[in-house]
Amino acid sequence: MIELASLSTAALHLPAILGEGAHAVTIPSAIASPEFAWAGLILLLPAISAALCGLCAAFGVKSKLPGAITAISLIAAFATTLSLYLKMPADAPRVVHLFDWIDFSWKTGGATWTQFLAPFSLYIDSLTLLWMLFVTGLGSLIAIYATEYMEADTGKGYARFFGSVSIFLFAMGSLVMGGNLILLYLGWEGVGLASYLLIGYYYNRPSAVAAAKKAFIMNRIGDLGLALGVFLIWINYGTLEYDGIFKALAHTADPASGASWSAAMIPYCLMLGAFGKSAQIPLFVWLPDAMEGPTPVSALIHAATMVTAGLYLIARTYPLFALEPHALTVVAIVGCSTAFVAATIGMAQYDIKRVMAYSTVSQLGYMFLGLGVGTTFGAVYHVFTHAFFKALLFLCCGAIMHGMAGQLDLRKMSGLRNVKGFGVISWTFLIGCLCLAGFPFTAGFFSKDSIIAQAFASGNPTFVTLGWLALLTAFLTAYYTFRVWFRVCGGPTKYEPGDEMHGHDDHGHDHGNGHGHGHGHDDHGHGHAAHGNHEWHPHGPRLAINGVLLVICLGAVLAAVPAYMAMRGEANWVETMVQHSSAALPSAEHGHGGEHAHHALSFTGIEDVHKATSVVASTVGILGILIAAYFHLLNRSAADKLRQALLSNSLTRWLPLAMENKWYVDEVYHVVFRFPASVLGHVFHFIDKHVIDGFVVNGGARVPLEVGRLFQPLYNGALQGYAATMAGGIALIAAWVFWIWLHGS
Amino acid sequence: MLSTLTSLLLILPLLAAGLVALSPERLSKWIATAATLVIFAVSIAFAWSFTGWTDGSIAPRELGLSIMPSLGVNLSLGADAVGAMLILLTTFLMPLAMIGSFTAVKEREREYYAWFLLLQAAMLGVFLARDAIVFYTAYEFTLVPMYFLIAIYGGAERRAASIKFFLYTFFGSVLTLSGVIYIAAQNAAAAGSAWSFDLATLADFASTKLSPTQQYWVFILLMSGFAVKVPLFPVHTWLPLAHDQAPTAGSVILAGTLLKLGTYGIYRIALPAAPVGVVELNQFFAILCIIGIVYTALICWVQHDAKKLIAYSSVSHLGFCMLGLFSLNSIGATGSVMYMINHGLSTGALFLCIGMIYERYHTKDMDQLGGLFKRMPVWSFFMVFFTLASLGLPGLNGFIGEFLCLMGCFTAEPHSVSGYPGVLGPWYALVAGSGLVLAAMYLLIMLGKLVWGPLKEPHGHDHGHGHGHGHDHAAHSDSGLPTDLSAREVGILVPLAVVCLAIGFFPKPMLTAIAPSVDQTLAKYPKLVEQYAHDGSLIKPTTAKDPRVAMAQPSSDK
Repeated sequence: MIELASLSTAALHLPAILGEGAHAVTIPSAIASPEFAWAGLILLLPAISAALCGLCAAFGVKSKLPGAITAISLIAAFATTLSLYLKMPADAPRVVHLFDWIDFSWKTGGATWTQFLAPFSLYIDSLTLLWMLFVTGLGSLIAIYATEYMEADTGKGYARFFGSVSIFLFAMGSLVMGGNLILLYLGWEGVGLASYLLIGYYYNRPSAVAAAKKAFIMNRIGDLGLALGVFLIWINYGTLEYDGIFKALAHTADPASGASWSAAMIPYCLMLGAFGKSAQIPLFVWLPDAMEGPTPVSALIHAATMVTAGLYLIARTYPLFALEPHALTVVAIVGCSTAFVAATIGMAQYDIKRVMAYSTVSQLGYMFLGLGVGTTFGAVYHVFTHAFFKALLFLCCGAIMHGMAGQLDLRKMSGLRNVKGFGVISWTFLIGCLCLAGFPFTAGFFSKDSIIAQAFASGNPTFVTLGWLALLTAFLTAYYTFRVWFRVCGGPTKYEPGDEMHGHDDHGHDHGNGHGHGHGHDDHGHGHAAHGNHEWHPHGPRLAINGVLLVICLGAVLAAVPAYMAMRGEANWVETMVQHSSAALPSAEHGHGGEHAHHALSFTGIEDVHKATSVVASTVGILGILIAAYFHLLNRSAADKLRQALLSNSLTRWLPLAMENKWYVDEVYHVVFRFPASVLGHVFHFIDKHVIDGFVVNGGARVPLEVGRLFQPLYNGALQGYAATMAGGIALIAAWVFWIWLHGS
Repeated sequence: MLSTLTSLLLILPLLAAGLVALSPERLSKWIATAATLVIFAVSIAFAWSFTGWTDGSIAPRELGLSIMPSLGVNLSLGADAVGAMLILLTTFLMPLAMIGSFTAVKEREREYYAWFLLLQAAMLGVFLARDAIVFYTAYEFTLVPMYFLIAIYGGAERRAASIKFFLYTFFGSVLTLSGVIYIAAQNAAAAGSAWSFDLATLADFASTKLSPTQQYWVFILLMSGFAVKVPLFPVHTWLPLAHDQAPTAGSVILAGTLLKLGTYGIYRIALPAAPVGVVELNQFFAILCIIGIVYTALICWVQHDAKKLIAYSSVSHLGFCMLGLFSLNSIGATGSVMYMINHGLSTGALFLCIGMIYERYHTKDMDQLGGLFKRMPVWSFFMVFFTLASLGLPGLNGFIGEFLCLMGCFTAEPHSVSGYPGVLGPWYALVAGSGLVLAAMYLLIMLGKLVWGPLKEPHGHDHGHGHGHGHDHAAHSDSGLPTDLSAREVGILVPLAVVCLAIGFFPKPMLTAIAPSVDQTLAKYPKLVEQYAHDGSLIKPTTAKDPRVAMAQPSSDK
């Protein structure tokens, strides 16, 4: 069996950006492995859990049962993934057929049968396993965390919350493990649905409803791109299964011959999908708004897992991207610009969760940069380390919110490290911040460096420019990260509680209804937050939250271990996983270092580009932390003075304003897209009602009648009346258009 | 066995209609429900013994009763796999619509249920017809019960709506009839004055013996009626009004099955009979579909009335369905048939959901209602579920049809590498694909208003402290319904939800049944399409300049 597989391996040619002498990569043919059918449990368990949560909701279970069900089934899914990882041989990908899904065939007008096949099957290789390990692992931990975090909602939204989380895990599993692009599409939209339900979890808050809608619609734009990519793949390769695509590529792929336009468009279409799901320019504005959801959701979906789906898509279909010479360059440019723009916005936000959201966008940009410049390992490693430390950062924010009655404004909290019960939060938060800032020898440092180093090592002038921009962004990242930590955990102890809307999930629910009948409602669960401010005390988290913080913190620290292994000359675990998958690259990028004796960072006097990058990146990172320390720990008033100085100078005042207002991207969308579409909608509605239906249809129906009357009314003086009516009508239309313009939509 | 069941499918609803009409007022709803359930059971038995699932053939094949021997009109009944599925859809939706009317209809009940059963008979007649006259008669007869259902049980503008519905679709179908008669007359002339209205014979004759120009005009005539029924832009304006005014169950059947008469007619008659016309006008109709998709989607966006929104969304959705059919390849056409079924399920369910709200609040205005999740979580669950099905979420029923329709359109390009030539292509699919985004917009806006957000109820509606004590609008007697859904209402929605989910994950039996039927219908097309792509037209340049000249001497070919 194995011999057979190696005979039919697919040899792929990768493009010139990967350097001269890039030789063929082989993707082994998949082996059908019914013996691994139990891998289907990874999908089945969350699906069952979702169904059980639904039943809990239907029967009004008032206990924490849904949380327990979800946590247990996710832990079981993680255990299944782990044993799959341990048991699966690494020689070739395995395909596990679960059941037939879409399958029909035809031979219209021809003699041969064509089959459209998209079975519910799993494609398992090391990339799949790597992804599923952190998805189910973090999913389990965050579910445990949420059992405590969401407890104020027990018996109300509790089952809905955990049901949605289960749906998410099912969809994410289908996305990552699915053996064909349609199954990926199912997962793709499924995670979008889970995201929609969870962002809009606090449905009483109009902002949450709007954010949920926005996320789904923005993602739909990306989904359309993905769908078009799928169509193009079908046109070109006649199959939608990964294994079939890789086989077909091995026969046709030859970069020298140049692809047809339809093959050349594939990566751009897929890219659009990836940019939507992973919140890159131009589709990134939904992610910051997605912070309306409960914090565990932000940690799981909008930081660690779902938003990496775009990365997964590109890594999975990397051979298709490699066919088109400019596709990866576009990915790199978009990724790096997103990283930079999001970092500048993150610097100017006061809501700590929003800072983290923009930093997620920014870090995702780094990952795309990694894919673009040709280090799939760097990109995937950054996905991996980021999953841990960003989940940790979000969970810390959530714990702070939970304890501070929903306070998220970094100007209103200070010195939390000394507040009783906030010790674990403060110090795990610090470790997360160090990782994010790329502090030397943390996990984030290694993964980010491998991306930036590759940009310099490639020698490609575009990529080198991007490398500089990435270094600048690394500096900004260190600054805004520690701005948060120094403000919130450093300095003198001082705090005021939040408006109790956020934190506790749902004291706020009734506020919209007016006070008349609000008080009798049972969902006014009065907690500590209902006391008057003068007797208000922050409360630290209990075991579930603290325990999970510590475990994830440990994960974030240990994520650096693969890099240490590499430093000791052993194989980097993540790199091995990537190199055994469809995201494999022709030659290990470490080899390049020596070849570029003169590189962009030569001024450091270090010949090896990786070492040089490490030195420069740690320098800018520490510089960023120091500047943050000056402005936000030692001399806080200086920061405000600087802002005032910038604002008062007419030449520079755009800078803080643009950064605080997210570069006005939402406004641009409104003007360019939403407003015209809404006007069109009104105009079409008018046309439909009054022109097509009113004039043509009803008018047409009246023709026989009117013909008879044709000669009667000329003399009754009605003409002036008609003229007046017409003028009035025109004035009304003008007024109406103006009204729409005033009111948006 | 099969032919007995087939006849029963037509006879039972007629008998039941008579029975209901004669029954006491109080019993009518129970009799109607029982009858529709029995008919559903019969249709299951029919599906069980149906022989056309695997090869696309029409079953049963026995010749039926000869009605007008001199004109060759036979009451032959039979369906292919597509017709059989639409039959199942009809018989499945009907009991749900009946049970859904229990509390909504309080006056003239007997008449109401009798009309519905007649309507069912007519619809089943269309799907079972193997004879053009039977088809046409049943097709037209659907208008009568629907007219009365809207005119008697509808909303405030019910008279205008019912008249427009009737006249508009009637006017269209007269043109269709003239097309059918034209083919039959040509056939009779060719065969030496022996008339036949057998659909297969007519289609075979028309597609092989009629000249390209004749086919062109025949197609236009046939489409005039079917396009109104579908409805395609710009002949859609009767639909929003009719939906808006129809009683809930009427809307369910209208969207669920009646609109499918148009698509089914195109599939069953126009595509087989006039392939040249289809190809020649392919791009034109595809563009109409696409305009319809985008145009009505934008109109949906600015609607305030939830029911009107869903009505307009039907126009947009059926644009997808027709686009798939007009892509003239197996992917698109299979998707299109899937779409016919699934649109019926999800949109029918959405109308039921809106109807449940209307019964409680006596309004469908989204400016007056909001945040109902707080009041009615069970209803909200179903509303969200069916909205997701309607916007084509994978894993639910709507996705596969929509995806295949778009894919069919996308791959239908003249120089397709994949070897499925067509005359549409990526640009068509790209513009139509924007409908996916727009659908997400208007449907989620609807959810955002109705389901989520702060609770908003019409003024004067009591705020739910125990629903029993009286509403203050005296005009409406309290419907006696609980705040959230009653067991009866849940019982209506659950089967629909189960079917939606089942089709979403296990569509294979449907797909494998549809594909052979589609294969036969489309067998002639690849060659024509190739020729069209090569020559730019299938009608010879001389006649193409003024087709009316050719029409004047129709039989000149032979």
